[in-house]
Amino acid sequence: MGMSASIKVVPVQEAYDDLLHRTLSRISCDLGRLIYLASMRDYNSGSYHHDGLTDRFSPEIARKALELAHRQVFYRVSALSLENVVEEIEIYLRSSRESPEKFLRAWEKLEPYHIAIPLEVNPTVARLFLSNIRLALAILRFRQEPIPPSR
Amino acid sequence: MIGTFSALIGAAVLLLLLLVWIRAHSTSRGTSSAWEPSLYEKGDKVEACPPEFVSHIFSGDDLLFILHMESPRLERLFHRERNAVAHLWVRQTSAAIGQIMRQHLEITRQSHDLEFATEAGIFLQYAELKLICIILSASIELAGPQRLCGLAVYADKLTQSIGDAQRAFAAVTQNREIGGAGSR
Repeated sequence: MGMSASIKVVPVQEAYDDLLHRTLSRISCDLGRLIYLASMRDYNSGSYHHDGLTDRFSPEIARKALELAHRQVFYRVSALSLENVVEEIEIYLRSSRESPEKFLRAWEKLEPYHIAIPLEVNPTVARLFLSNIRLALAILRFRQEPIPPSR
Repeated sequence: MIGTFSALIGAAVLLLLLLVWIRAHSTSRGTSSAWEPSLYEKGDKVEACPPEFVSHIFSGDDLLFILHMESPRLERLFHRERNAVAHLWVRQTSAAIGQIMRQHLEITRQSHDLEFATEAGIFLQYAELKLICIILSASIELAGPQRLCGLAVYADKLTQSIGDAQRAFAAVTQNREIGGAGSR
């Protein structure tokens, strides 16, 4: 009884701070944090789950903290200039240790960044996010192309 | 002779506007994503677009970055993508003010003491916003979102102002009804 009461009064902010300091701060860029948080979501139900956070708090508090963090990181990434989105993808690419060619091909073909969008966000912002990632990938592809010989 | 010439120019302008509208419509539909239908078909309450994103969508900074690349292909892609986002914002804004007005009409139907000046003010703001949305929708393809930043930011502020006025009006009407029911 006492235990369940203490769980209820723990603010979501505390769980959010815990998530921020223990996990998210170790990820090198916001795009990486966004992909990580999206992967904490069940594809079928759309609800979030994190074992460590659930053990320390409660499933409900953990879910809310993850949802809050996901939305905040999403809006932060969506607000970035195109130049900064390109930089974010470059950092993420380096951290993935995948070859740039393979990475670009997979992201262009499969568009895995679609799953990074939280469930309840403004549709225009979601569209801007998708658009910026698509453009940033095209820029990175363009930079990879060999410079045509001058006539 | 002058009449015929004016009629021809008028027809040409109309045709041009029609072509621009068709192109804008097909561009925004052609590049639409799975995120868009939820806006209009389900009637759910849609989260408002944060103001900083409006200036971001219509800003010229990203275009400058793209122009620096000196790639016509990237430039075309950028225009197509950013125009589609701008069109979606206009449609979302237009849908939002339509929803605000429907809610307002619902309340006014039940209200017994309407103020003409307040009602006229709200209606004029609504008409102004609808007109701005039509202008923006037609101009995005012609001028590009970057040249329409001021108008878009103004429309966004006006939408927020109408939304605030509507919420205040709803609260006052509700209080009066509660007060009226209590005094009976």
